[in-house]
Amino acid sequence: LTVDQASEIRESVRSYILAEFLPGEDPSELRDDTPLITGGILDSIATLKLVGHLEETYGIELEAHEADLEHLNTISDISGLVQSKL
Amino acid sequence: MERRLESTGLGEATSPPPAVAALRAAVRLWEVFAPFGLLALQLGLCVVVIYQFQIESRAFLHLSILTFFGFAVHYFLPLSLRLPFFLLLSLAGIGLVFGVANGAWLVALGLVLFGICHLPVSLRARVAVLLAAGALLAALRVDWLPVPWSAAVWPLLGSMFMFRIAVYLYDIRFEKEPAPWSQRLAYFFMLPNICFPLYPVIDYKSFRRTWHDRPQNEVIQVGLLWIIRGILHLILYRFVYTWCVIPATEVGSFAELARFMLTTFLLYLRVSGQFHLIIGMLHLFGFNLPETHHLYYLASSFNDFWRRINIYWKDFMMKLFYYPAFFELRKRGQTFALVVSTLFVFLGTWLLHSYQWFWLRGTFPLTLQDGLFWGILGGLVVANSLWEARRGRTRTLSRRRRTAAEAAGLAVRTTATFLAICVLWSLWNSESVVEWLSLWSAAARGGHPADLLWIPALFAAAIAVGEVWRRVARPAGAAGVNLHSVTLRSVAWIAVLTVIGLPQVYTRLGSRVASVVESLRQTRLNAEDEARLQKGYYEDLVRVDRFNSQLWELYMKRPVSWRSLLDTEAIAHTGDFAYVKLVPSVSLEVHGKPFSINGLGLRDAETTLAKPAGTTRIAMLGSSHVEGEGVGDGETIDGRLEELLDADAAGDFEVLNFGVSAYTPLEILYQLDQRVFDFEPDAIFFVAHAIDAEQVISRLAVKVRLGVDLPYPELVDAVRRAGIDRDTAQSVAKRKLEPLAPELIEWVYRSIVGRARERGIPAVWIYLPRTDERGDEAAVESLFARAHQTGFHVIDLRGIYEGIELEAIRVADWDTHPNAHACGIIARNIHAALTARRDEINLGGAGRAAAPAAAEALRDTETN
Repeated sequence: LTVDQASEIRESVRSYILAEFLPGEDPSELRDDTPLITGGILDSIATLKLVGHLEETYGIELEAHEADLEHLNTISDISGLVQSKL
Repeated sequence: MERRLESTGLGEATSPPPAVAALRAAVRLWEVFAPFGLLALQLGLCVVVIYQFQIESRAFLHLSILTFFGFAVHYFLPLSLRLPFFLLLSLAGIGLVFGVANGAWLVALGLVLFGICHLPVSLRARVAVLLAAGALLAALRVDWLPVPWSAAVWPLLGSMFMFRIAVYLYDIRFEKEPAPWSQRLAYFFMLPNICFPLYPVIDYKSFRRTWHDRPQNEVIQVGLLWIIRGILHLILYRFVYTWCVIPATEVGSFAELARFMLTTFLLYLRVSGQFHLIIGMLHLFGFNLPETHHLYYLASSFNDFWRRINIYWKDFMMKLFYYPAFFELRKRGQTFALVVSTLFVFLGTWLLHSYQWFWLRGTFPLTLQDGLFWGILGGLVVANSLWEARRGRTRTLSRRRRTAAEAAGLAVRTTATFLAICVLWSLWNSESVVEWLSLWSAAARGGHPADLLWIPALFAAAIAVGEVWRRVARPAGAAGVNLHSVTLRSVAWIAVLTVIGLPQVYTRLGSRVASVVESLRQTRLNAEDEARLQKGYYEDLVRVDRFNSQLWELYMKRPVSWRSLLDTEAIAHTGDFAYVKLVPSVSLEVHGKPFSINGLGLRDAETTLAKPAGTTRIAMLGSSHVEGEGVGDGETIDGRLEELLDADAAGDFEVLNFGVSAYTPLEILYQLDQRVFDFEPDAIFFVAHAIDAEQVISRLAVKVRLGVDLPYPELVDAVRRAGIDRDTAQSVAKRKLEPLAPELIEWVYRSIVGRARERGIPAVWIYLPRTDERGDEAAVESLFARAHQTGFHVIDLRGIYEGIELEAIRVADWDTHPNAHACGIIARNIHAALTARRDEINLGGAGRAAAPAAAEALRDTETN
């Protein structure tokens, strides 16, 4: 994947999270390293919604053990996970 | 810190003047040691407070001291040595608390389980071997086979492996880079675990990932704050436990019901306090683990409650149950998968709680109220999840100021959630669903339902204060660790606790405050748990499968094979008013002591029904204390008393032991009428206890429920007046009989004295305190008053254990019966009273003219 593609994934994920879970929030405050799970933005329901979105958008399949802090806590983590599946 | 140590100036191109170099060195030393000093000071004060307030156990104090010195060494170690050092320190902690032999067994068993996880076979095969090993250990846990290690090893072994091994196996499957062996082993043998069998399910990945993931001083400072918070929770818990809790039987109005429910929920502070302490201690060694509980009393929905209380458990269930189930089921629809997965989590939680109890206590309790609690909570969380899935919930990136309307809405939701959880929690902790329902009917008789509103009113007021504080003290902005604020709070709290714990301080704050602080400085069972400990013996009703009672800790230490005498072949249930009887000519071992019943059904040496010529016979009546449960043949009170009296009177006395386990004054009277006078006694000794009145009520309720014929018209009349019958629930029957307790006790006493007088022999009432007796002075005084009124000769044994350690006089921690030493003390005190009041208490026969010189000599050979 190119740097641009990685950046595209990050932006796409950021847009989804802002629209779905953080409506009305300032987009500039959602950085690539903002903690999403430990910060209380992604709870279990939101995590599963995000997983569904990623699978649908990128045609990938995630496994249960990947729905965790290591893979989904930041936009960077999410982007890395998606890239590893493409 | 390491970077600071590394940049100590070595290799600099030019050397500065000596004075400058010395100054720089001093500054560098200050930079290293000042933060350490501040952290060490706080930890040192924590150890002082742990000592002052006797937090948890003496073993925990020892472990805290070890932790303090271990922390000081660990702080300065290079990174590469820290994990091995932590592991060694943890193993040293096991040895310190458990001793070398049991500690070695614990570690060896643990290493076997750990080794199985790393067998060079497939995962399935390893799981199969682990299950087989678990089954073998389970069989050993319930004493099917003897083991060479102490029973105390089981709860700790269970605590270390019962859940963590599942997480470990799950995580190492996906491990990209193996962790050092020292870290893997430290995951199971964690330092604090040895003192806390009830332990948070720490996630293996988090244990690895968070190790030194933030600056060391920050991680340690947060840990110290959590240790202090944990201590505060435990002290608050002790306050609630000692001063605020009321037993279910005392609920007689809605206000009392509200108090009962509120305090039942507040008792959870014990668990959150322990978990804060545990995770705080791990922070000291670089494990930057997250909070285990987060303001759980302030949850604003059922989902929020589930997310805030025991967060580690929630994460464990999500990882091993929820996500795997959801991913498996999602092809059948998201909603279906969400509902089924959530219910799966709560079903698993219910069963795993029982599984946890199995390893901690050796029993596998599955009760209706457990099922109802987890079922209802699960249902509420499912409904809440569906709502959130459709409507979403408010999330923010930074802390922002709420509008008044938002704050009010949140307050209402939080109050409603708190109230609902209080109600559910009280159901979970009740002895039965029927008992829980009877609380409501009892409350209805004593007040208006509006009285219940003081819980939400109080809670809403607390929220309002919290909101004001939040607005004033915590302005809007980004959330995160403010090290200065954390340090300040930590230092302030620990300083306050240290000062309050000083006797020189709290004794000057007035007697009321002093007595409260004094009560907070020691671990004791509260009045209700003491009563339950007794009840557990008498009725086998005690529910020690809950974390809100301190009793479970006592019972956890009890070997599974420890049987009450009531469960042995020495006791037979009669099916009539006598309830139970001793089986003649049975000899067995009870708690490692010989227990022999003679041919006449007495726990005594063989004798004849007809009184031997020239012998003075005393019939000693009572329950298990008199019978001598937990002491060997010849060590019983009657046996020791007989020795003393014989020494006085050259072998003319025979004290017959009519004590029978679980007898209350009702059965004692019945036994007197049925058989005691056949032995031609010259005196009747009735041994009484503080709980006699309560026991009379409880036993009568049982007899009515069982449909036992009541042989006394006075009892038939009492039952009629109380308005109870076979269909009345036990707890309701007891409540209805309670007002009649004084008159029933008086009737029993009057009957005994009357029977004795008819035969011209003295009736002696001996008040025998429990080994750890305290508390209800009014009830005891009432018994004394009735004993005097009805004409007994009264012997008061209160205070006979003063100044003696509990361990020296009771059979075991979980069994308050007097041991052989205590039986000796009791017998000597009875003998002393009889000797002093020889003219008043005329025992008749040869004993009347006895000279006390020989007994004095015998007594002098024993120590008190």
